[in-house]
Amino acid sequence: MTSFGYQKTLRAVNFICHAPEAKSVRLVGDFNGWNPAANPMKQMPDRCWLLTVELKHGHHRYAFLVDGVLTLDPRAQGITRNDKGERVSLVPVS
Amino acid sequence: MKKGFPGKQGSIKRTVKPNRGMTAKPVKAKGGSASTGIIHPVIIYPFRQPGEYGDLKALYSLVEHLDADRERYARPITVMDRKTYYSQKKAASFLAFRDRTVARSGDILDAWCVDTCQMWYAGLGAAFERGNAGDVYWLIPGDFNYGAAAGREVLGRLHDLPEIVLELDQDLCIGEIATDHNNSKQLIDTYGTFALLYNWFPAEAQEIRQYTERPRSEFFAVRHDFLGELLTQRWYPYEQTVVMLLQAIFKQKRISRFFVGNISDLPEGRESLSSAWQQVERTERVLKAVWCERHQSRPGWIQRYRELELHSEQIRRTALTILQNLLPGQ
Repeated sequence: MTSFGYQKTLRAVNFICHAPEAKSVRLVGDFNGWNPAANPMKQMPDRCWLLTVELKHGHHRYAFLVDGVLTLDPRAQGITRNDKGERVSLVPVS
Repeated sequence: MKKGFPGKQGSIKRTVKPNRGMTAKPVKAKGGSASTGIIHPVIIYPFRQPGEYGDLKALYSLVEHLDADRERYARPITVMDRKTYYSQKKAASFLAFRDRTVARSGDILDAWCVDTCQMWYAGLGAAFERGNAGDVYWLIPGDFNYGAAAGREVLGRLHDLPEIVLELDQDLCIGEIATDHNNSKQLIDTYGTFALLYNWFPAEAQEIRQYTERPRSEFFAVRHDFLGELLTQRWYPYEQTVVMLLQAIFKQKRISRFFVGNISDLPEGRESLSSAWQQVERTERVLKAVWCERHQSRPGWIQRYRELELHSEQIRRTALTILQNLLPGQ
């Protein structure tokens, strides 16, 4: 069972975006201040976009910027809204 | 434990004063934005006592864990329908489980309830009276297969629901379980709940579906202020999650959805055709009532109501035909 305790450690989280035709994909979220320049993703040989980010314990809001368009992660564990009221994805880190 | 009547109707065993006072401290901020308040777990004991206790034992091992963490959690409340008690009062295994497990890991709220939603109302209301602004109330249904491997995985994730409300400053977080397309809950929601919602509240239904495919989910966490608004409004004795979601959309509350995993309800509480039928009819009834409340002060509302009612009847009939074709128990 998952521990409910407070953990200070960082955990590596893989973000994968399936956008084979995109020219650029960026990861934005609470953890980088929704800054598009902070976390560009890298296209892999299978044409999916990948980025590994170390995140603190807790729940984080995020989205992909696919060629500048805010895009939900279809594989996300949750959905919520960011401070602008846009629908974004949710990732738990334990 | 005394034999016979274990407590007054609606009373909480080992009662704590309504306002929790010094029983708990605020949750520490984690991960992102600051969070204050504590989490109040409210467990809905199964109406029909399962034959064996494996699933309930797994659930109450979690509850015991929560009860031990007073930094973060208020004392859990288990709501037990009096009819459940009376049907089992001669069963030694039930009495032992109630005394040795349920009562030890929280307070028992004994209540006469017409339906599960009234158990929610009683439990959430009792917890609310102990709570303060900033607190979060976490509903945990008891009649799921928590003892199975998938169920244990879900138990490990359920705590995310109230934590999301706290950490991300949400008003409501709905837990979504995975089911296949032929699952009775899925069929009811696809052909009944959403179809009826699209008729009575088309804009709100679209918004709800952007969040969840389970508008009748029994897994959720709700913030103190929003729960207060819900409790003081009319509380419908059925399909309360649908009403909560509608109210959240009406009031532009902050809603989240979180996937809690693969789990199924216990056979004792599973939908037969007649149960599914009743649920569709109840959904229609509650949507009609909510629609009337919102529109009856407007001119010409009755004519619009009749139009919608006509469509609603067609939708309900179609849903019932589909359910009749697909569910056992005809």
